[in-house]
Amino acid sequence: MNYHSSLFVTALRSTLAALLFTTTTSALADTRKVESAYGPVDISGQPGRVVTLYEGALDATLAVQGNAVGAVITRGGSDVADYIQSRAGDIAIVGAPAETNIEAVIAAQPDVILAAPRINEQQYQLLSRIAPVVVSDVPLFEPDSWKRETRLFAKALGREAAAEQVIDDIEARISEVAALVEARIPKSQRDATLVRWMPQGPLVMAEGLFSASILQAVGFRVEDNDLVKAGRPHSEPLSLENLSSMNQNWVFLATLNEDGEKALQAARNSPAFARLEAVEKDQVIAVSGQLWTSASGPLAVLAILDDIESAVSATKP
Amino acid sequence: MLIVLASLLYGAGPVSAAQAFSALTGDGTSDATFVVTELRLPRTLIAMTTGLALGLAGALLQSMTRNPLAEPGLLGVSAGSGFAVALAILLGATTTTLTTLVAQAGALAGCALVIATTRVQGLGNDPVRLILAGATMTGLLLALTSMMMLMDQRAADEIRFWITGSVAGKPLAILKATLPSIVLALTLIVLVARPLAAMALGEKAALGLGHHPGRIRFLITITVALLVGSATALAGPLIFVGLVVPFIARAFSGPDIRKTLWLCVPVGPAVVLGADVISRLVAAPAEMPLGVVTALIGAPVLLTIVRSGRMPSL
Amino acid sequence: MPDSRNLLVNAILSVLALFLVVLSLSTGTVQVSLPDTLKALSGNADPMTLFVVNELRLSRVMAGLLSGAALAIAGCLMQTLARNRLATPGIIGIDNAATAFAVASVVGAGLSVAPSAMALAGAAAATAIAFGLAGANGTRGYRFIVAGVGIGAIAGAVTQVMLSRVAIDAANAAYPWTVGSLNARSEHSVTILGLGLAIGCLALIATSRALNTLQFSDAVAIALGTRLKATRILGLGLSVMLTGLAVSVCGPVGLIALLAPEFARMLCRPGKMPLMAAALTGAAFMVIADLIGRTLFAPLEIPVGIITAIVGSPYLLWILLRPSPRSLT
Repeated sequence: MNYHSSLFVTALRSTLAALLFTTTTSALADTRKVESAYGPVDISGQPGRVVTLYEGALDATLAVQGNAVGAVITRGGSDVADYIQSRAGDIAIVGAPAETNIEAVIAAQPDVILAAPRINEQQYQLLSRIAPVVVSDVPLFEPDSWKRETRLFAKALGREAAAEQVIDDIEARISEVAALVEARIPKSQRDATLVRWMPQGPLVMAEGLFSASILQAVGFRVEDNDLVKAGRPHSEPLSLENLSSMNQNWVFLATLNEDGEKALQAARNSPAFARLEAVEKDQVIAVSGQLWTSASGPLAVLAILDDIESAVSATKP
Repeated sequence: MLIVLASLLYGAGPVSAAQAFSALTGDGTSDATFVVTELRLPRTLIAMTTGLALGLAGALLQSMTRNPLAEPGLLGVSAGSGFAVALAILLGATTTTLTTLVAQAGALAGCALVIATTRVQGLGNDPVRLILAGATMTGLLLALTSMMMLMDQRAADEIRFWITGSVAGKPLAILKATLPSIVLALTLIVLVARPLAAMALGEKAALGLGHHPGRIRFLITITVALLVGSATALAGPLIFVGLVVPFIARAFSGPDIRKTLWLCVPVGPAVVLGADVISRLVAAPAEMPLGVVTALIGAPVLLTIVRSGRMPSL
Repeated sequence: MPDSRNLLVNAILSVLALFLVVLSLSTGTVQVSLPDTLKALSGNADPMTLFVVNELRLSRVMAGLLSGAALAIAGCLMQTLARNRLATPGIIGIDNAATAFAVASVVGAGLSVAPSAMALAGAAAATAIAFGLAGANGTRGYRFIVAGVGIGAIAGAVTQVMLSRVAIDAANAAYPWTVGSLNARSEHSVTILGLGLAIGCLALIATSRALNTLQFSDAVAIALGTRLKATRILGLGLSVMLTGLAVSVCGPVGLIALLAPEFARMLCRPGKMPLMAAALTGAAFMVIADLIGRTLFAPLEIPVGIITAIVGSPYLLWILLRPSPRSLT
């Protein structure tokens, strides 16, 4: 960041502070460079007010005890995702995932902005005028993406130690759940599919998706049966006629609307679905689509692990 | 018949035509039998009923308004029905508890426009204004629906599904729910067919033959609302079906509305089924929304009608 | 011949448009007082106000002004050429076709051509097809309009197909734009629209006399010395260009092209094409509709196209269904 704009940011921040009648943290001494998608960003101390433009960034910020003051709504909701609601508290909404309301970001008076890679250059430039913007440069859809992202955002917040602590805790929790899976489910029956049930039918989620990688971490084999084409790393709609191709032992059924049990009932009423092996074995697990198909970050990992644990505990050893 | 067979034989899934055929004759694999009897058969029946209802509704509307472009989709009747369904979803009804009643009430409201236009002097002779009024109505209702989707993101997924139109994955129960209305509508059609044919000769001729044009119009409006409401409950608002079907039927039957209505009975199901087969095949392993396919098929027919110059002759 | 009534109308509309611009600049999630807004425009304000007013809002309001004016002029021209006040680019399907082409370039289905160019190509293609299908009657008569309705339906379906074939996130991102929104505009497209509008205005001023004769019968126009064919092609070309460029900025915002000229005709002295008044009205409509969309459910936005449809459709229905309407021509 060049001399001129950092001067601008400093001026802006003092204006904001004056407006707020509060004092922002002013540890000007240790300025560090945070590598991000649009080049390194200078940040000093522990930024006080954090605006997150990405669900994973909100999750990571709260996980390392940062002070998140603004967030985007979850996909298909009108607020932040349910699993994180209690921790986020009464947080200001600054837009939808695909549409940031820049004025709302200004109104939230951030000291730092955390964003996802999908943000474009033009928006990045505008946001940079408000506060330093850290855009994640971590490739999505890799097994350890959430760890690398947590470390990146934690560095931006000056809370690296907290991040390492959180990651260690989660590793331990993963081993715990993995041991449970090992004990309860024979190796040959640990195949699973992740499906989002939409009113018009199923949407198969990709193997590389965040929640799928956690299923894999605890010992499940997740398959999308090559239904999700290359270049479309998220999901693929599926004709009901092709449902039989996802005949795994376990089906994790995510829904964005209604509550899970009701959606599960609706799915069971669909004759194509009722034929699946997992349905016959009663191993279809209704899970929140907000958590399983949209969220990411350390808190989401813990919540997903809880879901897996309770599903596996229900089986007979 | 051929299209029915095609609908049962081809799909987006891996069940091949040969397998499906052996399933039909009774000795297929269990997967194939399942796909054919449990998935494709209900879908086929629903598509056929939808086509029947929309085709007849289109023929009735065109005859009543004397306008070959009068079509439930273009006139906003389908949009009214779709809007009512969207509103019901927003207010908490889930698709499974949704009854055809909501859709039919919406269709009736949509018919209000048609009633208004036939009442307005001179408008019956101006096809363009009728179509534009319908298009405007549709635009307005779609905008309101979009507003609702923005206000309640959770309902948005379901509403979006309803406003594009599809016959996939609908349980046969919906078909059962719409059956009484369709039977009622068919009975009404049998009753009004003769007077309607007389009305085609002019109102005075109809009066002379002892019919009451006002009463007939009222009956037809009710019939159209029943038909379109049922069709929307089954498949969502499908545009252009009510235009294409009577157009094809008239090509064979000539101007006699009674013959046209009869011909709509086989043509309507054939058109929607054909569109549905296309929607399954072009985008496999996923499917394209049926509403998109009917729009792509129907718009050229609209252009042909306009081009043919026979328009004001009805 | 100076015309005091039209001058007065234009003056009042200009003031109104200016007021709406300032109001729009001051309103939003971050509220700026009117005096502060004016100060910011002259460069005298704290950095944050300068940023909000001069960079965030000004570019959006400019995009709204330009696209509103362009759509209104395009509508006014098309109405005059067709001698039918319902014949506007939106109804004839030009909007939808331009959107379909622009979406094609956004989702990468075509070549790497800029959305502006693609939207222009779409607009031109739709008009050409509507013309071809309308046959000997040209833009006159109902065939042109109904053909347009059909083309619009096809283009709309094609847009849906393209959106259903791309990843969900991309489709969701493109959604506001397909119903008409000023949020997703690219600065590049706005610049091109500005240039197009400037060129269009120059051409209109240069040919205003000939264009004005088009509303009389052909015989009168020829008697007045108008080269009919050339003038019509020019008018239609300008209309198509302005529509295409406006769509590339704001998407298919409906009904401004119909309502603005309508409004302008009510205010102005009959007899002349009220292009200036229509442009000002269109710009004002667009700005105020966007302001409503921006503030009603803040921080979430309602696309401007939805606002214009909800406000404009009832009026259009009223025109269409009035028992004894004024002649449509």
